[in-house]
Amino acid sequence: MLLAASALLLGIPAAAATASAASATSGTGWIRLAHLSPNTPPVDVYLYSFGNSSAQIVLHHVAYGTVSPYEAVTAGDYSVAMRATGASPSSQPVLSTSVTVKADHAYTVAGMGPESGLRLVVLDDQLTTPSGKSEVRVIQASLKQQTVKFTCGGQTIVPKATFASVSSYQAIPASTWTMQAIGSGATATGRFDMAPGTVHTMVVLDGTNGLEIVNLEDAAGAGQPPVGGVTTGFGGTAGHGPGSPVPWLALIGAGTLIALTGGFRLRRQGLRRQLHTGV
Amino acid sequence: MPTRKPTAIVFAAGLVVIVAGTAGLLLTRHSTPVLRPVAAGVAALPAPTGPIAAPPQSAQPAPVASPVSLTIPLIGVKTQLITLGLTAGGALQVPSTTSVAGWYTGSPRPGAVGSAIIVGHIDSLTGPGVFFRLSELSSGDDVYVKRADGTTVRFRVTSVQTYLKDHFPTQTVYGPTPDAELRLITCGGAFDAATGHYLGNIVVYATEVS
Repeated sequence: MLLAASALLLGIPAAAATASAASATSGTGWIRLAHLSPNTPPVDVYLYSFGNSSAQIVLHHVAYGTVSPYEAVTAGDYSVAMRATGASPSSQPVLSTSVTVKADHAYTVAGMGPESGLRLVVLDDQLTTPSGKSEVRVIQASLKQQTVKFTCGGQTIVPKATFASVSSYQAIPASTWTMQAIGSGATATGRFDMAPGTVHTMVVLDGTNGLEIVNLEDAAGAGQPPVGGVTTGFGGTAGHGPGSPVPWLALIGAGTLIALTGGFRLRRQGLRRQLHTGV
Repeated sequence: MPTRKPTAIVFAAGLVVIVAGTAGLLLTRHSTPVLRPVAAGVAALPAPTGPIAAPPQSAQPAPVASPVSLTIPLIGVKTQLITLGLTAGGALQVPSTTSVAGWYTGSPRPGAVGSAIIVGHIDSLTGPGVFFRLSELSSGDDVYVKRADGTTVRFRVTSVQTYLKDHFPTQTVYGPTPDAELRLITCGGAFDAATGHYLGNIVVYATEVS
């Protein structure tokens, strides 16, 4: 009975819980596609899962400076192909690359460099930040300003970003920051909200007039993640086994004791009275 | 005799206590059954009408308004959303009433990039709470959140999991994501009458769709 009760209390086996923790997001990663080559005309971008000849995602007429939202995909091997806009899906791609998507990882696949040296770059994007901070990296995609200094709140975070380079991520205090991309012949300035727990890629682009900064939000989480699970039930629908009999048994025991004490005295008094009266 | 009466009273009192103990014992020998939701094959509520907001872009994401209400047609949930913070110990606050759900203000707003966290009770001391039927959801079911600016976002359930609170995967549930997602959390699993708490949590994972 005790065994049955403890099994009832435990309910879910611990092994089952750990298995489901892994399977909650098991097999899902994210991928986004970008065109960051200034002098390359718009392209059609195709995403194929490995060994599948029909595309899973097709983005048409992707122009310079375009970055798609993340698409959730099953973990595994993929290939990304770029074709000239309007080219037949069965035609030979201008460029293609393979990418292995790991579960819980996010990737940016970007066409980068000048048209003459266009290449597809696969970036493993970061999702996490130190608690309460924001993370930022810089992609320098301006051909007109070959080298750019990138600052945040007046502080240099990338001193010499060369064309088609990607910096590593850096943690910065969460705040609204003034950021600047400073080239030899042009400067771009913008105010950006860097909330705690958010990860950003700042892309420096050739704009219609000088430079431009585009803020990509790579990921966001709770600035301060809660500790543990939640306590959201009082058991009104849970059902209960019979309560413990111990308190009631103790009460019966106590009652018996009291009654015995009373009864004993009663008898003694009765005896004494008999002695006194001599009956 | 002056002492005879009190001793008789003691004896009688003992008998009364025995009777009370026996009655208590007999009255508490039955079990109350677990209340289970009746699975409904059709939506209990209509889906909200009106346009559905587009998922956020990676580039220059626009700020989104605070959530005000939650609708889950399949399980008949339609509730206001209150705001929740953290307890002194750093755990999630829970709504003070069991009939409404709440959004953790430290998590992204529903429809912004990241996992928005919404919490509700499975039951009160006496009956079902707002998330009583949460475990009935499965992949593909729709969840709607209306925001303060009148816009509505739609999420599609991708997974429903039950975890022991002792093995709660904090990072998987609360951790960052690169797309707009939603986590609906309530209690589940076995109820521990000794502590008055459920031993598990049910977590519904959903991703924004247009």
